[in-house]
Amino acid sequence: MILLEVHNRIIEELLTVQIETFLRKEKLVEVKTDVVDFDGAMYHVTSSRDKPFIVSIKLKFYRDLEQYGTDDVLRREYGDLLVTPLEGYNVTLSLDFNTQLPKGDTNEVWLPLVRKIAMLKRNCFAAVFEKYFEFQSKQETKTETHKRAVIHYRDDETMYVDASSDRVIVIFSTVFKDPDDNIIGRVFMEEFKERRRQFQQAPQVIVSYRTPPEELKDMPDARTGDNIGYLTFVLFPRHTKVAERDNTINLIHTLRNYFHYHIKCCKAYLHAHMRHKTNEFLKRLQLARPEVKKSFRRIGNNAGDAPAATE
Amino acid sequence: MTQAVAARASAHQPYLDAVRATLQASFCIENFESQVVERHNKPEVEVKTSKQLLLNPVVISRNQNEQILIEGSINSVRISVAVKQADDLEKILCKRLMRFMMQRADDFYILRRKPVNGYDISFLVTNFHAENMYKHRLVDFIIYFLEEIDKEISKMKLDVSSRARMCADEFFKKFN
Repeated sequence: MILLEVHNRIIEELLTVQIETFLRKEKLVEVKTDVVDFDGAMYHVTSSRDKPFIVSIKLKFYRDLEQYGTDDVLRREYGDLLVTPLEGYNVTLSLDFNTQLPKGDTNEVWLPLVRKIAMLKRNCFAAVFEKYFEFQSKQETKTETHKRAVIHYRDDETMYVDASSDRVIVIFSTVFKDPDDNIIGRVFMEEFKERRRQFQQAPQVIVSYRTPPEELKDMPDARTGDNIGYLTFVLFPRHTKVAERDNTINLIHTLRNYFHYHIKCCKAYLHAHMRHKTNEFLKRLQLARPEVKKSFRRIGNNAGDAPAATE
Repeated sequence: MTQAVAARASAHQPYLDAVRATLQASFCIENFESQVVERHNKPEVEVKTSKQLLLNPVVISRNQNEQILIEGSINSVRISVAVKQADDLEKILCKRLMRFMMQRADDFYILRRKPVNGYDISFLVTNFHAENMYKHRLVDFIIYFLEEIDKEISKMKLDVSSRARMCADEFFKKFN
C-alpha cells in the first residue's frame, strides 16, 4: 500500500457486515467498539438489533475546525444522518437500516453511503479547505473577510491554510521526534521538492527546515527548531476548481500521515535489510571455523518437514 | 559482478592489501597467562598490564574518515574500523548497522561489544579464537567485512532516496 486510504477501513467493514446481515434478514450482532485513527481521532461505534447504527468521532482539534463551517459541510454530506453528538464526542451519525438505507437490489445502492460514513474524518477536515478554495474562486483577497486558518491537528504540529486571489497556500509543520526520523525525513522532503518538477499538474512544493517559510513570518507561534520541517503547498485554480476539489482535499489532508508512514516503513525496511546482512556476515565467519557445529539462527526450520504424510 | 564494482575494488586494493599483510603478521599470537593474577588469562591488548607485552599499534588509513587501527599484543589483537560517513544519513545508517551487529556480538565470536573510542566497530581476536579457527580465514573475513560495509551503506542510502522518490511520485501522480 503506497497511498493511504482516505476512509477508515474498520468503520467501513463493520458497517458493510452489519448491512449485509440486515439485508439477509438475519439477526444483527451487537457491536460496540472504539476505533482510533490518525491525528488522534477516536471513533465510537455502536449497533444492535433494534437501534440504529451509530458512529461518533472525537477530534482534539474539532474546535479549530468548527469555525470554518464544518457543520455546513457535514450537513450537506450526511443530511439527516447527522444527530446531536454523543457526550464527549464531536460529531455523531446515526443510520437506521429500516428507514434510511437506500432501496435497491444490488450492493451498489448502499456502498457509496458506507464509504461516505467511513470518510467522516476526512469530511470534518474538508470544511476548512472548501471554505478557502471558495474564497480563492470568489477572489476575496481582502484580509477583513477572512484570515489565515490555523488548525492544531496534533499536539505540536499545525496546519495553516490561506487564500489569495490566484492561489491557496497550505502549510504543514511537522515534528520529527526521533533524530533518525529527522534525517530520513529530510531526504524525503528533498525528494518531494525535486520530483515535483516532473509533474506539471502537481502543486508547487516549498520545503523549509528549522524555520517557518516566509508566509508565516507574522505568526509568532510558528515553531522553530532543529527537528521541525515545513512543507508548503501552493494550490492553483486547477486544483481548487470544483471538479478537482475532492481529490485535492483527499491528498492534501493525508499528507502528514503519508509522510511519516513512509519514514517508518523505510526504517523497517532498513532493519530487515541489516538483519539479512548480519546473517550474511555470520555465514562468512562460520567459514573460519574448522567444523560447523550447528547452523546459527535457524529461521523457519520446520518449514520443510511439515507435509510428511503421503497417501 | 558489474564493472563498476570491479573498478572500485581495484582502487581499494592497496588499502586492503596493506590491511591483510598487517593482520597476517599480527595474528602470530600465543597463549599467555597473566603475570599479575594467578590463573588468569586475559587479552593483554585490553588489560594492558605490561608495556612489554604490547606491540606498536598500526593505523592504516585510506583517508581521514576511512581507517583501521590494529593493536597487537602477545595473546590478542584488537582491530578497530572507522567507516566512511559522508553525511548525516550515512552516519545514522552506519550507527544503526553497527549497533545491530554489536548486539549480536555473541554470535560473532570475535566482535567486541563496544567500539574503541573514535572508531565505529572493533574486533578482538584472542589466541583462543586463533586456535579454534583458521587464521587465514579470519583475515579473509575481516577483509570481506571491510569490502562489504562501504557497499552496504551506500546501498542503503540509495534505497532510502529511491523510496522517497517513489513516495513523492505516487503522491504527485494523483493530482490532475
